[in-house]
Amino acid sequence: MSVIDVKHLTKTYTTYKRGAGMGQTFRSFFRREEISVQAVNDISFAIEQGEICGMLGPNGAGKSTAIKMLCGALYPTSGEIEVLGYSPARDRKHYVRTIGAVFGQKSQLIWDIPPIDSFKMNKAIYGISTPDFNNRLEELTALLDIAGVMEKPTRVLSLGERMKCEFVMAMLHQPEILFLDEPTIGLDVIAKVKIREFIRQMNKKQNMTCILTTHDLEDVEELAHRVIIINHGEKVFDDSLQRLKLFLGEKKRVSFTFAESVQGTVFDNACTRVVERPSDFQITLEVDTAQISISEFIENISRKHSFSDISVKELPIQQVVMNIYETKKQPEPSL
Amino acid sequence: MKRYVDVYKQCMYSAIQTAAAYRMNFIVSSLITLIGNILFPLVTVLIYRAGTSFPGWSLFEVLLIQSIFTMSSGLSSLVFGGVLWTTMSHVREGSFEVILLKPLNPLFYIVATTFSTESAGLFLGGAALFIFSVMQVGAISALSWLQFTGMFLAGTAVLAGLALMMAAMSFKWVGNSRISELADSVLHVGKYPLPIFPKAVQAVATMIIPVGMVGFLPASALLGRVQASDFAAVLPCFVFMGAGIWIYRHMIRLYEGVGG
Repeated sequence: MSVIDVKHLTKTYTTYKRGAGMGQTFRSFFRREEISVQAVNDISFAIEQGEICGMLGPNGAGKSTAIKMLCGALYPTSGEIEVLGYSPARDRKHYVRTIGAVFGQKSQLIWDIPPIDSFKMNKAIYGISTPDFNNRLEELTALLDIAGVMEKPTRVLSLGERMKCEFVMAMLHQPEILFLDEPTIGLDVIAKVKIREFIRQMNKKQNMTCILTTHDLEDVEELAHRVIIINHGEKVFDDSLQRLKLFLGEKKRVSFTFAESVQGTVFDNACTRVVERPSDFQITLEVDTAQISISEFIENISRKHSFSDISVKELPIQQVVMNIYETKKQPEPSL
Repeated sequence: MKRYVDVYKQCMYSAIQTAAAYRMNFIVSSLITLIGNILFPLVTVLIYRAGTSFPGWSLFEVLLIQSIFTMSSGLSSLVFGGVLWTTMSHVREGSFEVILLKPLNPLFYIVATTFSTESAGLFLGGAALFIFSVMQVGAISALSWLQFTGMFLAGTAVLAGLALMMAAMSFKWVGNSRISELADSVLHVGKYPLPIFPKAVQAVATMIIPVGMVGFLPASALLGRVQASDFAAVLPCFVFMGAGIWIYRHMIRLYEGVGG
């Protein structure tokens, strides 16, 4: 049964072209050119109860605008959204009781007071009974391991601690759906792992539906059952993580800083491709891990050259979108 | 209803906690607000000391108008004072969705979260001047007190309406940070006896933007100078506040957020 049903969702903003430089800026005081920006363009999808759906896309793709419309914070220009039987923007006051939201770049905590008082504010807002509040708070603080920070002012907390408190704020009223807009942005590896584990547990225990926007492919790999990719406001991919991997191929980016010049060495072959070569000492390669494992590849390289630094990363999201565009021109890969 | 009362209580508690966290800022802000607003009655004292006056009005009667104006401003600032700047900041930074995510009337929530503790000083300063002036103007009947209470609340409603209308503009004209100066200059009319202004200004200040109700008319009620026709000005005050609420709620629909 689908809990989120989106049909032909479109959001158009009107903004003004102000120009660059003194002359154009001065002219814009008197006459401004109106520009229509289509942030979200005719997107349709449905999400089942208990699903974790990752929404990927480059900067400015329209992911956050879509999430804000799903949360009821923005009115769509056209199209329909139905979540748990509500129209989010029209029935906002009743609807938002059933959802939780964490925005990685916007805090719901009150900056100058300890998180525990922000939680008490949510207790009053959602009308949570004292025994329910205490039980829930105890459970969430134990899961996120934040008992020690509850009474410190929010402004002195680290980003990771703050983000964990944001999750408590969003979960106290036991929402049926959780919207997460870049929840791991700027976090260190340990905090990311903890937060991913928390989301996984909440999803399993409460059959809670999650929509997650991110730039981090690891978030999606770790959590999502399904992936929607948005680019320039349009949906370019909507399928399982397994199928996304077929589109992508099993690729990683490996950057080396060599101890000596590797001028003349040929790195392009069936399983690797040079992506960047800023100097004869630095090189970034795209490795097809379906053909060669990362450990085997590194071993091969280290036999030929000594290097002082190495990093292994996922493909950047822009590359993912580009690959999908290119692959879509050809017949789709079969499972 | 109980939920709304609980939220308001929690917001007041948070405002007091914030004030306690920045004690020096709280003390300095309260003093600056108080001094800035109660200095203007001193100008009135200087005018009367110099031998001139507002015709038909004694010094203490004018001070009574100005103390009521200060009290009304203090009460309005305490409850509605932060709405303009907080709305403006949320719209500029694209964080208004945090307000919209709460299952509450967004206007109520933003009013509750902007409870301005530092305006308590202004209200108390106005109240002190009010008590002093009342003691100088002679006996006041119970009926006059009743009329005064109604008119004082109507005057506060005008200030609330003005604050909401200015805040609502932020959704359309982002960053109009000096709009409050425009409102302040209109409000000046309410600090003095209305009869000293031309008839057209008196009509506007009574029926259209009823700033006369902020200081002058409640003081007239206490002094027994109010006329039956003056009570007609109470209605426009609440209409004015209603218009402020309606405009704010309507303008929320224009909120567009900012880029991520």
